[in-house]
Amino acid sequence: MIRRFTAWIDYALALAVLLGAWWFATGPMAMPTYLLPSPLRTWNALAGIAMSGELWVHLGFTVQNIVLGLILGLVAGIALAYVMTRFPKLAIWVDGPLVILQTAPKIALAPLFVVWFGFGILSKIILIFSLVFFPVFIGAVAGFRTLDPKMKDLSKLLGLGHIQRFRQIELPSAMPEIFVGLKIGAVQALVGAVLAEWMSGKLGLGYLMTYAGATYKTPLLFAAVLLTVVLGLLMHVVLTMLENRLLSWKGAKR
Amino acid sequence: MSQSERMIDIAGVHKTFVADHGTVTALEPVTITIKQGEFISIVGPSGCGKSTLLRLISGLDHASGGTITLDTAGRKRPVGFVFQEPVLLPWKTILENVRFPLDTAGVSRAEADKVALDLIKMVGLVGFEKALPRQLSGGMRQRAAIARSLSDDPPILLMDEPFSAVDLMTRDTLNDELLRIWQSTGKTILLVTHSVDEAAYLADRVMVMTARPGKLKCVHDVDLSRPRGEDTKLDPAYHALVAQLRRDLRTPGVVHGERAH
Repeated sequence: MIRRFTAWIDYALALAVLLGAWWFATGPMAMPTYLLPSPLRTWNALAGIAMSGELWVHLGFTVQNIVLGLILGLVAGIALAYVMTRFPKLAIWVDGPLVILQTAPKIALAPLFVVWFGFGILSKIILIFSLVFFPVFIGAVAGFRTLDPKMKDLSKLLGLGHIQRFRQIELPSAMPEIFVGLKIGAVQALVGAVLAEWMSGKLGLGYLMTYAGATYKTPLLFAAVLLTVVLGLLMHVVLTMLENRLLSWKGAKR
Repeated sequence: MSQSERMIDIAGVHKTFVADHGTVTALEPVTITIKQGEFISIVGPSGCGKSTLLRLISGLDHASGGTITLDTAGRKRPVGFVFQEPVLLPWKTILENVRFPLDTAGVSRAEADKVALDLIKMVGLVGFEKALPRQLSGGMRQRAAIARSLSDDPPILLMDEPFSAVDLMTRDTLNDELLRIWQSTGKTILLVTHSVDEAAYLADRVMVMTARPGKLKCVHDVDLSRPRGEDTKLDPAYHALVAQLRRDLRTPGVVHGERAH
């Protein structure tokens, strides 16, 4: 508990130093606003769009896309990993195409997704999905493959059905590896979401950045960038909390 | 088999594996009939097929030939199995682990809890119901595994070197508890062990198996009075049997290099 408290103090201190340096650069050092807006101006820009309600529309759009992409990628990654470990013959067929898709830089495919799936939400979710899917899939395959053979004996002895075996034994025991994949995927999801919004559409934090950049509203650009940083941190915190809850049985964390 | 019921009928059961370099005989034909409520120990060196025999009886593996008949009236889970390791689900508490066979059989929570709590009491884990397996010692985990194997009340209990991973003192205690559980539940128990002392101390009959190829060498009746305890270990008849078992296992041409003890 005390340890946690000191950790928070460390974080706060680091943040304060950063803020101080920022203020120093814009105040005493007098950096021009179009290069580096002061903390206050940035704050005002943020408060401005928060008051007008614009902020919540953009933030909501980005968060919604991330959450949808994460959920879809998680489910699909686990499902394909499970099917492939259950039917090794299928794995031989699917392995090749998967490696190609996996190594292909998804970011490079992003414009293609726009061409195929339009400027709307679909192309964005597909990009996020493609970024989340692979880390989860690889984690899940590792998780399912390292299942203790004695666990298989146990489920056979108890005559468990497929669904019981999956829910009660295979999925929980693969959870640690799946979570490793999910945490990597979550970082990627944020990158993908912002990138997709850069490219097309008129919604989201990514769009806010391109808009602010194009119109030289540097304080707004700064606010949008900071928001994505905070969003990334928040996702990390939520996932860590979820991990601590779901994987407390593993004992020593991290 | 006079008045006692036959519980397990093993007739000419054998097992061969196909390996890269031809077939390997894991178990030569075994024939034996085990009565209801009997406590059987199986001793032998590594590779004598004792674990194979247990897996065949449990249905985990299929025999290459011969038949195994269990008089368990078509129960879905006729045998409880205790492995060398506890094989508990690490994300479930001890209570949930013990209850697991009942949960997966659709028994109501209230009823399952009652059975599980009784068993936890019987194996001496009261106070650890909510603990996770990693918080328990090896011996305690193995007790939980025994409780789980008994929770859906199988008539037959198969134990594959259940106490080999725990220290000697704990092992002695667990053996006495096993006898107590056996006496109070009337299960038919087959226990595989490396230890001839343990085999003689616990069983009604001891099956001696030898390796390469794995086969049943002989079966000894254990004429020691019940209930057994510290006095049993002072009984000359007990020592005579243990010595006999050691001789059986050491017969020239049967056990090379590897000694069972």
